[in-house]
Amino acid sequence: MKVFRFLLTALLAGVAVSGYAQVTFKGKVIGRTKQEKLYGAVVTVTDARGKAFNVLTDDDGEFKFKRLAAGEYDIKVEFVGFDTYRSHVTVGANKETEVRVELEERVKELVDVQVFGKLNSEEEAGARDKEQRSHNIVNIISAKAMERSPDINAANVLQRMSGLTIQRNGGGDEAYPIIRGLDPRYNNTLINGVKIASPDDKSRFVPLNIVPSDLLGSIEVHKSLTPEMEGDAIGGTVNMVMKDAPEKETWKVLGSVGYSAIFFDRKYLSFAHKDIQQKSLIEKNGLGYTAQPGDFSRSNLDFKQVTSPPNTVGSLVYGRRFLKSKLGLMTAVSFQDQYYGSNSTFNQAAPDVHAKGAPTYSDYATRAFSTNQLNSGLTIHLDYALNDRNKFTLTSMSLYSFLAQAREVIDTSLLGGNGGRTVPGTGPVGKDYTSVTSRQFLEDIKLEGKHVLSNHFFFDWTGVYSYATKRTPDFADLTINNKIDTVHTTHDPNGPYAFVVTPDYFDDIYRIWQHNVDKDYDVLGSLAYRNGLPGNGSLELKAGGLYRHKTRYNIEDQYTLKPTTSSSGIKQEFTDINSAQWTVYNSAGTYEYDLNNYRLYEDVTAGYGQFRLSFPIVDITGGARVEKTKQGYSLNNFHPTGINGIDKDYTDLLPSIDVKYKPSVRTNIRLSYYKAIARPNYYDLVPAVRYSTSDATSTQGNPDLRHSIADNYDIRYEWYPGADEQIFGGLFYKKIKDPIEYELVGGTQYEPVNVSDATDYGAELAFTKFFGAIGFTGNYTYLYSKVYSTKSYYDLSSGISNKDTLEKRSLQGQTDHTLNVSLLYRSKKHKLFAEVAFQYSGNSLAVVYPIYGYNYMQRPQSNLAFSAEKELKAHFTLFTKFNNLLNTHVKQEIGSLRVVDEQTKLNFSLGIRYTH
Amino acid sequence: MKRVTSYLMAAAVLAGLASCSKSDTTKVITPTVPPSNPIAPGNISGFVKGTFTTGNTYTITGDLSVKPGDTLASQQGVTVIVKGDAQINVAGTLLLVGTQDQPISFNSDSQLPGSWGGFQCDSASSVTIKWAHIDNTGGPDPTGSARKTVFVNKAIPVDIEDSWFTNGQDDLLRLQNGATITILRNTILCSGSTDGEAINLKSGVTGTVAYNVVYSQAGTGVKLETSSTAPLPQTIVDVYNNTLVCNGWRRGQAEPGRGVSVGLNAKGNIYNNIMMNNYQGLEIFKDADTNAADLHYGYNLFYASQDTYLDTTQGGNLQINIRGNFYPSDGVGKPQSTDLISTKVGDKDPMFKSFDGKVATKNGASTSNDYHLQTGSAALGKGNPTYNNDIGAYTSDGKGNKH
Repeated sequence: MKVFRFLLTALLAGVAVSGYAQVTFKGKVIGRTKQEKLYGAVVTVTDARGKAFNVLTDDDGEFKFKRLAAGEYDIKVEFVGFDTYRSHVTVGANKETEVRVELEERVKELVDVQVFGKLNSEEEAGARDKEQRSHNIVNIISAKAMERSPDINAANVLQRMSGLTIQRNGGGDEAYPIIRGLDPRYNNTLINGVKIASPDDKSRFVPLNIVPSDLLGSIEVHKSLTPEMEGDAIGGTVNMVMKDAPEKETWKVLGSVGYSAIFFDRKYLSFAHKDIQQKSLIEKNGLGYTAQPGDFSRSNLDFKQVTSPPNTVGSLVYGRRFLKSKLGLMTAVSFQDQYYGSNSTFNQAAPDVHAKGAPTYSDYATRAFSTNQLNSGLTIHLDYALNDRNKFTLTSMSLYSFLAQAREVIDTSLLGGNGGRTVPGTGPVGKDYTSVTSRQFLEDIKLEGKHVLSNHFFFDWTGVYSYATKRTPDFADLTINNKIDTVHTTHDPNGPYAFVVTPDYFDDIYRIWQHNVDKDYDVLGSLAYRNGLPGNGSLELKAGGLYRHKTRYNIEDQYTLKPTTSSSGIKQEFTDINSAQWTVYNSAGTYEYDLNNYRLYEDVTAGYGQFRLSFPIVDITGGARVEKTKQGYSLNNFHPTGINGIDKDYTDLLPSIDVKYKPSVRTNIRLSYYKAIARPNYYDLVPAVRYSTSDATSTQGNPDLRHSIADNYDIRYEWYPGADEQIFGGLFYKKIKDPIEYELVGGTQYEPVNVSDATDYGAELAFTKFFGAIGFTGNYTYLYSKVYSTKSYYDLSSGISNKDTLEKRSLQGQTDHTLNVSLLYRSKKHKLFAEVAFQYSGNSLAVVYPIYGYNYMQRPQSNLAFSAEKELKAHFTLFTKFNNLLNTHVKQEIGSLRVVDEQTKLNFSLGIRYTH
Repeated sequence: MKRVTSYLMAAAVLAGLASCSKSDTTKVITPTVPPSNPIAPGNISGFVKGTFTTGNTYTITGDLSVKPGDTLASQQGVTVIVKGDAQINVAGTLLLVGTQDQPISFNSDSQLPGSWGGFQCDSASSVTIKWAHIDNTGGPDPTGSARKTVFVNKAIPVDIEDSWFTNGQDDLLRLQNGATITILRNTILCSGSTDGEAINLKSGVTGTVAYNVVYSQAGTGVKLETSSTAPLPQTIVDVYNNTLVCNGWRRGQAEPGRGVSVGLNAKGNIYNNIMMNNYQGLEIFKDADTNAADLHYGYNLFYASQDTYLDTTQGGNLQINIRGNFYPSDGVGKPQSTDLISTKVGDKDPMFKSFDGKVATKNGASTSNDYHLQTGSAALGKGNPTYNNDIGAYTSDGKGNKH
């Protein structure tokens, strides 16, 4: 930076010494037809000696050269989708020169803009432009909007988009998108248009909370598919687009600090990482090793209450073009170190047989989680234009995420087991302390080439290597228990009693070492033929294909430590971890038996034929795709009683058509139909039975699971009043055959099953509109889905539970009403931007309950966030972000019973950004 | 003359017939039926079906599996040694039939508690175990958890009679999800490390548990319940004439074990049991099916061989009042008028033939107590005659435990 500044100063000094008068040259760039301000257009001026200067236009389409020497200049203005403007301008010596440039929209797009154009969807206007030009139904959020929003990762950004909600698991550490009420299994996640490997040990999902939004140029959510897109996106496709090389050298550096307010109320629960052994005992010592009590560290179960460190975020973005703009470079580095926590009550419900199975509490539990998540990422984009006809792009994205989490769960059992609660305040209490550290790493390298073979033929190819891994060394779980009871004070069994709290007893300790590796190899290619048609039309015929080979393995090795007993065999009291004594119950580990040790593969071969007819008033894109899937797994260890492996093979023909009717330059009406599939998650097929230790339930995979197939219909009206404005309204309808949902089968076994065919439909409205300095952006989504589950009635008098009753319900995870409204204030004069973001999400079905008439429902919640930025002086911007201003609780209920009440409290940060 | 001769002859014949009249002697000539698919003695592992034959020793060197439709049978007098924490998976039929004179024996090579996997009959079609010694089961499963000695997770007939189980880990007999059970005259000793019930019956199990002895189980002797997620069908079991001694101590005060407990939506008839020196006696939990007209209990004998037990667990000295826990105060069970409830040492003593006086002992401890009743035992003649005139597993009518 210093060097950079020095150069700048030297340059300015040189200019001053040479004695030229310095004047300002400014102007405004607008599109002629719609008279919209063009944001991010490249303005280049070249002086008589051939020296060129360039700038980008701002939000208002304005540009300014501050220190030009008076004289004659050639001026060139370029913007995606518009013809390049060239002219000549005389910059006078004694006054500001001002021009107005109107760009003509490029009519014929014979050479697709996506091949050689520069769509700057990092700016809002660019995002709107891309939405409008897109051949399918898409919503895009730009880097600019992400930067200014209260959000710092892809998951938080996505939850503000139309039709999306985010599914989080406990503790808020992994987040996946739900698109139009369809849970993550129905959607796919892409980076730069190609699927990436998953670091999960059981599913195919990519957690979006580990993707820092600073790395991204834009996020696209595609809600209809064209034949060239992968077909496993019934809900939709989330495409994270990396930043592209800029026309002009760009620097951006930011840093911020923040804090989670939950740690004003309580301390952060921390544990030492230094003694955590990265490899399991068997990995370290080989098979046949006999684990000793001293092999297991204590310090990662020695929890300390500490003051939470602050949250820090930093990022650096640099890009420029070299070799006369033939070579483009864009690189971004991001670092986010976040400390957050949650306090929750987590009660369990069970059917009360005396009330026909109506739920009643079976457990009261409180949970306090303390989490440190460190996300970092590096992206590199290189593009090289060999000539006008051949271009190569190499992109790489590396993501690293470290998580350290301490969990404290205190559970009082009210029913079952060894007796529950008798009078208020009593019951057996289990206290569970867990320490987890995990590292996730994702690497995605993509090389692509685009070639203009002739005036009519175009060829492109892509090769991708994607790698993802997660390593969770020494997941340590300590259980201790005590009981609050009524105990007789005399020998008379009918006599008086008093409350007695027993000492804490040492129950057991589990230690699990887990790691998995997921690898994808992809090859894609397409050949296109394009030609003009009468009436300013064009035709494109395209054929292409994809082959992907995926492999994954997962390894687990688990040890159980049991307390040593007294001379009379009684288990020991627990005082602290450092004085606890244990024996290693399974000293050989589980490496050689563990059902979680498996390998899998998935080979997808796809081919498609696609046509596109474009006329000034209508575009039609359609065709069909064939996807052949071979997927399977095998357990590493032989299991004589169960299924040791599965191979599945299926082929789908997926037709689609997208019609875009363009009644005016500012409006589109779109109609679309496509067929799509959802493949079962990998571990969903593995029928390994995992019995619950506490009750008669078990969980197992289902090898008979079929993939889901859906017909999807969409209609959307789009109006683009201004460059960065939009009003969208749409309806959709989906019919899903063989949807996959987890249900309790036979009362005691959780299994992924193909439930009855589902329908899912809804309406979406999205808008962005400015009234001077004030703008409104937001969206509203209404969703309705219908599927039937088999439920039971309980009737104790007859002693039977009728298991044949079908109950209509919505899909799990689907929210009925979602409203996002942001109030934006932008003042160019004060160099101020502020956003207040409100979100309302309605009821959603969290988990299906086996008794007729009841399900676990997530209750409506309202969230408020605030962000603001102020440009201090040239290049420096001060910004702040506040999330969860209303201290919104996540609440789940079944019937009238509150089962979950979780709060995470306010989170805020303050930072500074340097942009050049 | 001819006629006279005829008469005389007839008389003689009759006399002769009369003189040689004796009861029938029937000699049944049974063919020598070879056992179905005899299994050759020696090392075995992997898939197996057929019969272990009398007098032979078999060594199981790796997990043994019985496929659906197949049977693993054992004749009397068979010795099985299990190595390497192996288990026996049964998806077909398990039929172990020993005799009083020639019982069957299953044990590990190390003969240490928790050193082999037991019978994992999750999806078996039937389980029969008679006159068999099954010792030192409960070694860790693929997830590192203790295995049950006999695990059944299906509505199948389970018949376990006259057998001995010692030094298991965790639950000894875990039978759930609709199994129909007959558990008669077994002896279960010193099982469960710091957790586990001897006879754990869950979720829709029906049948009878009678004349069994359970001594020094970590948790509860006989536990009846359903699952909170699936409280129906109910668990309905008759538990009578069992002798339940010194159970429930090793889990500690926070999770005391009982002689018999009836929990979550279970019901049954609990009669004629001797409960002595258990951490807690008979517990009818609040969530049991106490509304049902057919949860009945009574005629049970409760005794403590000492007033209190001093639990000297590391870090504390806890005086446990044994008699105060006959009907634990966190339950809804109440003393019945037909019960025999000891009020001091010596009062209503069941008078076992021999008893070492210990209260809590270790998993795998040796024991030589003899629970036959001496003359003058309070348990004699005080039973509910619907089941037996006497209380406890050893009854004077000879119907009880034969060990």
